[in-house]
Formats: sequence, structure tokens, C-alpha cells
Amino acid sequence: MKRAFTYLAFAILGIGIGAYSALAMAGLLPGDRRTQGTIALNNWYGDFTMGSEDASPYFRARIARHGLLALANTEAIYFTRTVDDSGRALREDCTYRLSGGKMPARWWSVTLYNAQNFLPDNADGALSFDASRAEAQGSEGGAWSAIIAPSRPSDDTGWISSKAAGAFDLTFRLYVPDAGVLDRPEELIDAPSVARLECAGGAA
Amino acid sequence: MKRLLGPIALAIFLGIIVHGAIVHFAPSVIMDRAYTLIGERGTPVHGFQLAPQMRPSTQSVVRPSPDLAYSGCRFDLGQAPNGIRVRMAAYDGYSSLSFFDAQTNNFRTIRGDGVAQEFTLNAGNAPSQKGIILIRRLAPTDVDFARVVEVAKADDCEAL
Repeated sequence: MKRAFTYLAFAILGIGIGAYSALAMAGLLPGDRRTQGTIALNNWYGDFTMGSEDASPYFRARIARHGLLALANTEAIYFTRTVDDSGRALREDCTYRLSGGKMPARWWSVTLYNAQNFLPDNADGALSFDASRAEAQGSEGGAWSAIIAPSRPSDDTGWISSKAAGAFDLTFRLYVPDAGVLDRPEELIDAPSVARLECAGGAA
Repeated sequence: MKRLLGPIALAIFLGIIVHGAIVHFAPSVIMDRAYTLIGERGTPVHGFQLAPQMRPSTQSVVRPSPDLAYSGCRFDLGQAPNGIRVRMAAYDGYSSLSFFDAQTNNFRTIRGDGVAQEFTLNAGNAPSQKGIILIRRLAPTDVDFARVVEVAKADDCEAL
């Protein structure tokens, strides 16, 4: 009887460890929100096997949870970041400046998502910043910037609302990347920076 | 200690099996749930439905882009033994027609480039019996989305 109990206890332990390690490594635990990836660009992370049969089983499971129906890399590439340029987690009660220049793709966008991988529940109508808005800013050389904040900034030509977003992340999409981008992303993509300007309570 | 070798071996064996099964089956389980969910939200089998503009109150799949208009069609080759004819109407702006199998793979994508595109899906070119077909059209503004509403009326996804 005692021996049977020992086998049962170890079986439960093995199943528990196997299940937990799988959920953790595949990004399926409730708190895990990152798409991750092997390519790192200025705190943005991506993996060009997204959406393809070449994706590892772990990455495939992670994307099923965090980026279902993502396109293969010849059509679009995706990067996600959860921290600002200083490595601090992105927070709703802080204000950030998102900035960049010309991007090597037909169209691009940066969109804010909450910890549940959804658009934050607000009615501000400022969920993303994209190539068309950057173009409308009309800067020479293609430089652009936008403010990420929970309330509308005085200059709202570029604003992503973080209202009701909590601890959020950003997804950077490049549709129809230029030739060479898939081979030399570090060289050809000058990924947007995210500088923290201030936080509620005065902390910078 | 020697008496524990058997239970430890069992724990390792079951741990590996469970770990592998979860990683292997998670994508198809999640895709199956998405297939059912978007069906409950009105996307038919073999028929396109244009989703409302992606907003906090309308999103049904994780990480939607609010700048894109999505038209979805669920396919089931079990109900269409002769295949499915898919047509994406011409759109002045970025558009793509993408096919996803039951394992979440994007196994084919056709870009619009301003002209209508057509493709026949069948058992010979689809990796799985069931899946989702998605049309994306760039529509960052309300005016753009209104254009998509008109264009999308000519999209087609029908069993042959």
C-alpha cells in the first residue's frame, strides 16, 4: 500500500512538473505576455519564423497564445517590447516619447496592448501610431514622434493612449519588408525608441 | 534510495510525456477555440464576414491591429470535397489574402496589389481540413474603413 502511494505521489509530481515547465516555456502561463523572439533590436524582440512551419514547437505555442493569425515573414514581421529605453517596465501612469525615422517596409505601425494581449479598454481613439500618421507630421528626413500617455497631450498629432492599459507592451509591425530586411534586420531596421519622460508622482 | 528509482523513473517519464503533449497540442487547441469563437461572433463557414473596426469593444482575437480591416472566412474541406473558391476584391491600398491551417501556420498569402485575387483551396494544397482565411486591408481612418465596407461586398468564399 505504501509503495503504491509512493508511485502515485511521484506520478503526480512528474505530471505537475511536466505541465508547469511546458506552460512556462511555451508562454502559456497567465502572467506571461511576451511573444519573445531571437532577434533583438533596441529592446524590441521578434522571430521571423512566426506564422511559419519553421517555428519551433515552443514558439508556435507561444504565438498561438499571444499572436494568433500572424502572417509569415515575407508579408509582415512583428516585434514586441515590454520596457522603455532604460529597461524599465512600461506603465500606464508614465509618459513616454516614441520616436523613429523612415522604416524599411511598405507600411508600419506601433500598437499598445494590455497584459491580456488586447487593446486597452478606453474610448480615446488613439490605439496606435502608423506610417500614415508619421507621414502627416511631414518632417524632413522622415523623423517622427508620438507621446504614449493616459491623457491627450497638448500636441496630439502623435498620441497613443495608455489609459486603462496597466502594465502594457508595444507591438511594432512592418508590412511587406524591403529586400534584405529578413537577412540583415539589425542593419536595416532602426527600431523606434521609447524614452520615459515622467511618471505620476513626479518620478522620471 | 534504491526503492525510489522506480517512482523517480515514472515521474520523469510522465513529466516528459505531459510536457511534450502540452507543447505539441496547444496551438491546435487554441486554433480550434478561435475557430469556434469567431464562428459564434458571426463568421460563417465558407463565407466572408467583415469584422467591425478593431476597437477595445469589438476585438475577438489577441493583438488585433486597429489600423487594419479584417474579413474572415472559416473553411472546412470536409464540407467542401470539391474545394473552396476564394476571391479577394480589389482594394486601393495594402491588402492580403492569407490562409491558416489547424496548427496556426500561415501556409499561403496572396498580396492584393490593387487588383482582385482568386485562389481555389482544396485537399491538395491545404495542410488541414479546417482553418481560417483572413483578408487584411489597410484602413487607419474611418473614411478608409467605409471604403473597405463597400469593397468587401465583392469578396467571396464558397464551396464548389
